[in-house]
Amino acid sequence: MSGDLSTAGQILRATGLSAGYDGRAIVHDVSVEATPGKVVSIVGPNGSGKSTLLKSLVGVVPVLGGSVSVGDTDITNMTPERVATLGVGYVPQIDDVFPPLTVKENLDIGGYLLPRHEVAARIDSVLEFFPRLKSMMSRRAGKLSGGERKMLAMGRVLMLRPSVLVLDEPTANLAPLVATQLLEEYIRGFAEKGSTVLLVEQRAKAALRVSDWTCVLGGGRIVLQGPPSELENNPMFVESFLGGGASRR
Amino acid sequence: MSVFLSSLGFGLITAAVLAIATVGFTMQFAVTNVLNLAYGSVMINSAFVTYYLNLHAHLNAWVAMIGGVVTGSVASYLINRCIFTPFQRRNLPPITIVIVALGVDLCGTFGLQAIVGGSYFNYRQSPGRQWHFWGMYFSTLQLTIIGIAVVVLALVHWLLKYTRLGKAMRATSANMNLARNSGVRTQMVISTTWIISGALCGLAGTVFAMDTGVFDATSAQLYIVLLLSAMFLGGPGEPYGAMLGAVTIGVATEVSAGFINPQYKEVIAFVVLLGMLMFRPYGIFGKEKTL
Repeated sequence: MSGDLSTAGQILRATGLSAGYDGRAIVHDVSVEATPGKVVSIVGPNGSGKSTLLKSLVGVVPVLGGSVSVGDTDITNMTPERVATLGVGYVPQIDDVFPPLTVKENLDIGGYLLPRHEVAARIDSVLEFFPRLKSMMSRRAGKLSGGERKMLAMGRVLMLRPSVLVLDEPTANLAPLVATQLLEEYIRGFAEKGSTVLLVEQRAKAALRVSDWTCVLGGGRIVLQGPPSELENNPMFVESFLGGGASRR
Repeated sequence: MSVFLSSLGFGLITAAVLAIATVGFTMQFAVTNVLNLAYGSVMINSAFVTYYLNLHAHLNAWVAMIGGVVTGSVASYLINRCIFTPFQRRNLPPITIVIVALGVDLCGTFGLQAIVGGSYFNYRQSPGRQWHFWGMYFSTLQLTIIGIAVVVLALVHWLLKYTRLGKAMRATSANMNLARNSGVRTQMVISTTWIISGALCGLAGTVFAMDTGVFDATSAQLYIVLLLSAMFLGGPGEPYGAMLGAVTIGVATEVSAGFINPQYKEVIAFVVLLGMLMFRPYGIFGKEKTL
């Protein structure tokens, strides 16, 4: 894994955040902070509001209360295109690439905000990071396998050298080996290069392995949070996520 | 055989006009998600602007055509801005926009008729000398229209494939939220799409009027059937499919008109449309809305 993707991360902070659709809150009073060089993960059962939380941070879902900031800039209810200009890269859980566009064109769109003369060099950097994409530049994104597609989705956001990466279940529908590589090699790698990483992950055990801090979301609220070493010893967390019938591994 | 070949010649001209119109129509649908049934009325209004510049401002018809293109562009932008966008903001079901578009079409067509009356019009323009190829007859005017269509389709290909704007249009068409998350200002892309597709609409209206020779305010009213057939044949929102669909529908309607009553041309197009909707609703390429 190489490629010049180092960046100066910024703090992503949500304070007392409520968000939802049609004026109805799904996420209630959530406060979370992700700092440069660290991976913060959010785990929780289906329907707990994890994806809604991420979407509200990047401007896709309206914030109904509280605030969101990146560095010193208040981005509460800012449009997604403005949030992107502030260095926040977002990879949604599904619909994470443009299927009719080729791999090269997807990366071009990822670099849409860059000066034209910088795009080619940035694509080279992304390809150094994800060398498997090199041989499929002219292939339509809709024809890629799940793992290749997720690499492209990540590559697309890396085009802007984001200071903050917001990733919604990047390992969903991936084979276990590919998922582990994605989490432990690439996503951990982003943080080590200076990015701020906020990650929603279904595989709780895997999330703990790569995270510096983990929040547990339930019913749209944070019900538990702490460093992985602490959560691994928390009986409620172990019961709900790591063992017994409710295991999510 | 001679009837077939001469009909094929007519078909190529019809296909050329239809291709310009359908590519604009399908671009609008793909990027803006509006099935703009008012497209035909914008076409004919643009054709009339060209007519007034040609007849009353004494401009050469080809120069006057620029006025038609600008009219199509401005009218399409304004229709979206003032009519479609306010309805879209209310998150109404898609059928609402279709009904609104139908209303705009009727207002555009019969409003124009109220102004110009029920007479027939024609440009002050010579069709030029006749050319004869392999049993097909073309006037210089018709060959010029085919040439314009080839150049326009090549430009659309270049725009979509090789420019930043074109890629942004295709990205917006494929996944608007993801395009916004990538920093694409999708509202600007959508407005630009209305301007470009409107220009194609204005151009199509003018060459349609040139090709038919004589036209009135309602001449393009049934044209929407040809447009829809060509679009669904190639796949809704597929510009390359639209080109292929236009050629197929244009040639099929004119060749069949050579053997049966020409008044059934639109009926044949409509039958093709029904067949496509029934058996391959995503067109011969079998894909959902893409650009």
